[in-house]
Amino acid sequence: MSIRPGTLDLCSVTLLAGGKALVDNVTMSISEGEMVGLIGPNGAGKSSLLRTIYRINRPTSGTVLVNGEDAWRQPTEWVARNVGAVLQDMPAEFPLTVRDVVAMGRSAHKKLLEPDTSHDHALLVAALALLGLTPLQDRAFRTLSGGERQRALLARALVQQPRLLVLDEPTNHLDIHHQLQLLRFMRGLQTTVVAALHDLNLAAMFCDRLFVLDRGRLVAAGTPETVLTPDLLRNVYRIEATIARHPETGTVWVMPSVAPPTR
Amino acid sequence: MHAPVAKQNQPESHEALLTVLRSAPPVRGTALRSVAAQCAASGGSPGYALVILLMVGLLLGVAIAGLMFGSVHIPGETAVAILANLVAGDGLVEPGWRAVYETIVVQTRMPRVVLAALVGASLGVTGMTIQSIVRNSLAGPGILGISSGAATGAVVVMRWGFLGLGVFTLHISAFLGGLITLFAVFWVARTGGFMTPTRLVLAGVAMSAILSALTSLIVLTSPDPQLASRVLFWTLGGFGTAQWKLIPIPLAALAIGLGVMLVQARRLNLLMAGDESAVALGLNVQRFRQSMFVLAAALTGITVAVAGVIGFVGLIMPHIVRFLVGADHRRALPAVALLGASFTIGADLVARTVIAPLELPVGIVTALVGGPFFIWLLRRDARGLGGAR
Repeated sequence: MSIRPGTLDLCSVTLLAGGKALVDNVTMSISEGEMVGLIGPNGAGKSSLLRTIYRINRPTSGTVLVNGEDAWRQPTEWVARNVGAVLQDMPAEFPLTVRDVVAMGRSAHKKLLEPDTSHDHALLVAALALLGLTPLQDRAFRTLSGGERQRALLARALVQQPRLLVLDEPTNHLDIHHQLQLLRFMRGLQTTVVAALHDLNLAAMFCDRLFVLDRGRLVAAGTPETVLTPDLLRNVYRIEATIARHPETGTVWVMPSVAPPTR
Repeated sequence: MHAPVAKQNQPESHEALLTVLRSAPPVRGTALRSVAAQCAASGGSPGYALVILLMVGLLLGVAIAGLMFGSVHIPGETAVAILANLVAGDGLVEPGWRAVYETIVVQTRMPRVVLAALVGASLGVTGMTIQSIVRNSLAGPGILGISSGAATGAVVVMRWGFLGLGVFTLHISAFLGGLITLFAVFWVARTGGFMTPTRLVLAGVAMSAILSALTSLIVLTSPDPQLASRVLFWTLGGFGTAQWKLIPIPLAALAIGLGVMLVQARRLNLLMAGDESAVALGLNVQRFRQSMFVLAAALTGITVAVAGVIGFVGLIMPHIVRFLVGADHRRALPAVALLGASFTIGADLVARTVIAPLELPVGIVTALVGGPFFIWLLRRDARGLGGAR
């Protein structure tokens, strides 16, 4: 038996904080094995929306269905067994090794007092090897570079054996080489992925579908070609842009204009 | 990053590794095993076993030294023989020593050594747990305000002397002071149902300040001129009141406290990852932090009640232990209990011999010995200890 990709359905999810709607009536449906990008300007509510999936922010109304189950009616451990989240939270206070940090991902699968099994060990070894962390496994996590840390946190999410991966701006602080590496890797996982992304061109290159958030509302959804239009970029991002094609992949390529928006 | 690197280091291909990651676990084996098995599985390296063995050796060595030295010197072999006789009876070791030696060892020094060990171990494990729940390695058992509350409780009894609970009046009132403070800090820190690390520390610090002021006020307005020095002496901690009757309470507290911490060791590890990550990794952070706070605070309260406020042990032992065996609580908790016990027995030995026949409060020794040692460690290895980012 093997772990299969999962599904995610958000049904009219609204999240209020201090009378303001951080997420406003968002409905989206992501099917097995899809890789989708969540885009939108700063403060659009991307992180807030993702937080309702891995159970940090309980939606004020609406439901979050992971593999058809209401994530907020399940135990915290259940969500951790189904959703792997790669966050920007860095454990830097204590001298944890890379292996310690990655091994934390198994926690939700373990009963109290249950020792690590050979299966846990095999997963740990495989995740470390996949992400090229094998030579770094005994290093202190806090001594790693930004790219190495990101890989370690991804490895931790992988040993959770999630059916859905949620990434909040995973390419932050990475150079272009490491950004491409990470996204190529995510693509190759053949699992369901939801990632908040800032780089529109990378999002277009790697994602099956894009969801655009603006001031908490979902304003567009669909393939990169249908979503990334000059009109949308003007309305949502307040930029003028020309849309071209990537010469190699044929995916859309956003070329912003130097000039400020005309309207 | 992966494919080329993976090929160099691992014979398995990218695809094969992905298949491993997607594999479901084999049928769950016997789910529950003992704490020992868990610790062995997590720290099964020979290096860890060696460190633990050395720490056990150190503990035994310091404990025997604690039985030998004092106002009357008892030779090491006699101390060991009395100990062996006590454990195994006359069959193994013929009593050939002066009866007074046996009285000194069994009735005076041994309860003292045992109490110091229990208190030291408790301080070590509470220090480590508190550092994790407030996610700050500068925290110690004193930061939650419980010690100050216990001191206030003790001072109230020293001044007005009511309660009438016999020989343990002081201990009981100190514990009650700590307990009341526990509830107060819990109530303040949990405003709105959330207990963040920062709020917990701030609540503890504020409560400490209030209670210290209260303690000073009680002392300064007292007609008894001796009260100030008695309070100071008690506050700095000591094992002068040790007797066998006192042992069961801190023993039970340590057994329960350390037992629960070991059972929860995996979850304590998750707290180090940060609150959001811990939730994403499957931990109900709020509930867990609150219950571990109550556990750590109660253990601190009992420790302070039996031995006063002994600083530095709960702060530095966790650092040294993480440096030696890593930060994984499954390995670090047993080690910090052993090292805390050894250190405190040693500190007590110094406290009662260095200006004999007078005694120093043991808190002075732990700070005077522990402080410079800690500074030396910090300077020697800036990366290893609370160091580089």
